[in-house]
Amino acid sequence: MKKITESEEITVALAGAPNVGKSTIFNLLTGLSQHVGNWPGKTVEHKTGVFRRDGLTMNIIDLPGTYSLTANSVEEQIARDYLVHENPNVVVAVLNAASLERNLYLVAELIELAPRLVIALNMLDVAEQQGLKIDYEALSRTLNIPVVPIVARANRGLRELITQIEQECGTAAGLRNVKHIEYGSEITDVIDHVDRLLDDGITGLYPKHWTAMKLLEGDEQINKMIRTRMPAERWPALDSYLKEHESAAVTIATLRYEWVERMMAVAQQKRRVGQVSLTERIDRVATHPVLGLFMLIAILGVMYWLVFSIGVPIQKFLDINLIERARDFIYTLSYLPQWLQGFLADGVLSGAGTVLTFIPILFFFFAAWAFLEDTGYTSRAAFVTDRFMHALGLHGKSCLPLVLGFGCNVPAIFGTRIIDSPRARLLTILLTPLVPCTGRMAVIAIIAAAFFGSAAVLISIGMIILSLLIMAIVGLILTRFVIRGKSSALIMELPLYHVPDLKLIGMVTWQNILAFIKRAGTVILAVSVLVWLLSIIPNGNINDSILADIGKFLEPVGRLMGLNWQMMVALLSSFVAKENTIATLGVMLSGSSGDFTQQLKAILTPAAAVAFLVVQVLFIPCVATIAAIRQETGGWKWPALILVFQLVLSFAIAITVYQVFSLFQGM
Amino acid sequence: MESERIEEYLEAIYKRQGREAPVSTSSLAADLGVSQPAVTDMLRTLENKGLIDYKSRMGASLTRTGEERALLVIRRHRLWERFLTDVLGMKWDKVHKEACRLEHATSPDIEKGLSSILGNVDTCPHGHAIPDDKGNIKQGENRPLSAFRPPVKVRILSVDNEDPKLLRAMEKLGLRPGAIISVIKKSRDGSLEIEFQDTKLTLDTATASFLTAEQLPEVSFTTDECEISLGELNSGESGVIKNFGGGRGSLGRCLSLGFTPGSIIKMVENYRRGPVLVRVHDTDVAIGRQLAEKISVVRTGSS
Repeated sequence: MKKITESEEITVALAGAPNVGKSTIFNLLTGLSQHVGNWPGKTVEHKTGVFRRDGLTMNIIDLPGTYSLTANSVEEQIARDYLVHENPNVVVAVLNAASLERNLYLVAELIELAPRLVIALNMLDVAEQQGLKIDYEALSRTLNIPVVPIVARANRGLRELITQIEQECGTAAGLRNVKHIEYGSEITDVIDHVDRLLDDGITGLYPKHWTAMKLLEGDEQINKMIRTRMPAERWPALDSYLKEHESAAVTIATLRYEWVERMMAVAQQKRRVGQVSLTERIDRVATHPVLGLFMLIAILGVMYWLVFSIGVPIQKFLDINLIERARDFIYTLSYLPQWLQGFLADGVLSGAGTVLTFIPILFFFFAAWAFLEDTGYTSRAAFVTDRFMHALGLHGKSCLPLVLGFGCNVPAIFGTRIIDSPRARLLTILLTPLVPCTGRMAVIAIIAAAFFGSAAVLISIGMIILSLLIMAIVGLILTRFVIRGKSSALIMELPLYHVPDLKLIGMVTWQNILAFIKRAGTVILAVSVLVWLLSIIPNGNINDSILADIGKFLEPVGRLMGLNWQMMVALLSSFVAKENTIATLGVMLSGSSGDFTQQLKAILTPAAAVAFLVVQVLFIPCVATIAAIRQETGGWKWPALILVFQLVLSFAIAITVYQVFSLFQGM
Repeated sequence: MESERIEEYLEAIYKRQGREAPVSTSSLAADLGVSQPAVTDMLRTLENKGLIDYKSRMGASLTRTGEERALLVIRRHRLWERFLTDVLGMKWDKVHKEACRLEHATSPDIEKGLSSILGNVDTCPHGHAIPDDKGNIKQGENRPLSAFRPPVKVRILSVDNEDPKLLRAMEKLGLRPGAIISVIKKSRDGSLEIEFQDTKLTLDTATASFLTAEQLPEVSFTTDECEISLGELNSGESGVIKNFGGGRGSLGRCLSLGFTPGSIIKMVENYRRGPVLVRVHDTDVAIGRQLAEKISVVRTGSS
């Protein structure tokens, strides 16, 4: 055995299905050394970190959670491409002992790609609670793969895991006599035949035999790769052979599960006892079509209550005490040139600074989201809402992100990561900006209150209903006519509930907030400075500025909905942050007499006021949301489309509303 | 007496040859219930008579003459068994012992008489082929029941065990050669869940290996069994997955989550609208209604 010398550096990949505690292990090993980014060109999280012990440096990669290595999803594709192309020194398969049967399927696939494999058998405590007894030593002997029992939540067994990884790393890969699955002569002949049809070198770094198997399993990515690399005249022969043996995919999976069952027979000493588990008891309510909905509403109620009773006051406090005071302070610094005062106070602070005060609110949303994800509740929520989402051509997993959108569209956009089908995910991202967020609702509430007095609540609720209706219609149109393709069927595991890992939730929340701060420091800052510049050029007065010119340029459109150029400018300024509408109006109307209500009534008819609320609630999303969409769709194409689309949509509907209301007024 | 013992040995070697060749002394000793030295002695005698080839470490194999003689004895044994059950109306768990005694006292004339009285029979009551008078025996496609992959519909061909208790138990159930059964599931310990004449039974590992069977075309399985869509399974009911009508896209995901044909699936919650919640391979999985309609299952019962 090779001794691990000093300054030895190895790469270790963590592989495993979702909900096996992989992230907890990753966090325990890497702590704050971790770096979170995206896989190149993908919107799947790429997490790396370093673990050091006794001169050994371990670069740890947390592969995306996957059930298999057939490219059914981006995650699976990333995981197996990483294994093939980067060839990590050791692959640690993290398995959940409480659902070993499901998890061993991945091992069956890993065996074929990872020369050095160590199994971390997690959640043995949970398994024992369920009356399961697992003989991990027997499993290890049968598989000829080291199996280390761990309880990641309690930080047990990780030391042994590290030692085992070190040891495994010292063994020559060729010496490991891991037993591959025997697929039986019938199917092996078919695989061999496909293998022979492939030229050497055509499969790149993918093992040839493995590639043959994936072709038979109907792996589209591999299929495409071979089709493009193979001489065109040879493809039809392979293609027709594959079509002829279409059932091979089922046979291979069946044989793998038979292998899993044999392994289970070895590993499982005691079967699950028939008692009703806690998960089952909770699920009787949580997945019930009626009770489950009430539960969902109650949970969301608590979440929003937390946000509004703690998050919003903090945000207000920060806005008044930090941003406002800092602005006042800057204006007292008389030795600064005036333009710099303006830049800092009106450009940086009221733009990007105001956006940053939303961090307490975002904190609650991100934390609540991570909490629901970690306990296993999100999939239940998806289950009970599935039937409603079908009307929009979406499935249950789209519901929670959209609901989150009522709080803030930004975490909602990130929340769409739980949706595995790319098409459904894109659709959800496109619909999210149509969900009225707290920022928009604040503007609606203030203007409605100022203009309509006691009817404000009704008007506000009307706006919510309107935007949801529009969202449903847009969803229908998008799924039927624009982004066509088969609506992906809902199929997801409902993991066992478990006590949430607070450290993990803290880590996830922190990483999300950090990313938000980064964006506030870049894109959002840039846009807010730009809007500020437009509002002071050329002579420092907003009423003569370029922004005003743009407003005046848009006035003909504004007229159609009863809005003058000042209202248009206020609307445009909401691009930085939705709340800015009120501030901008305040500045622009400051010259006229009376209080805010009187000022508003002076420039708006009731019909125009309604139209303004409509256009405000449907208007283009704020910069933070656009930046989030750009990040999640990997380009400017979709954000640009959303900008144009919502601009047209909001104007069109507001104009219609104004014209209809004016008719009634005239009568 | 001498010839009787010779015939017993030849018979035993012949039956063993199907599974191991050459046949070791130890397995013969076990089959015949005698000591190994006694077997060795006897094998030498048989070799001298030119009935077997015997190599002391390797074991014995029948010569052409030996095989003919063995088949003759087997023919007489199986004819007697048939006679005892069909003509005398004895129970099939008792006839083996009787036939063992009678086979050695049978002259060619009696053999001919038996054959003509029984008419055209080609198997013994336990389902084994009867060699014809020229020593030809039909080699069927017999596979042990334990070797089939459920779900499958099979016809029982033979019982490779003479244990009266087992035979009586089978008799009671009506499980005889020719019976058509559906193998629904093979569990971890190797026991089989089967359905026979609308009742569900469990066969232990040993029994499953004694029975041989041939597979019947899939079609008869699906017409007999009531195949329904997963969405039609009620909460609490279980089924066995048959196949998919879904496209390639959802197939991969279904397979990796364990929706493989033959897997037992339990409906946890089905509210007739919206998605269903099922348990498969020890995990709860939610499936959209549309997809659930495309997966066909055979209902196996409720728990």
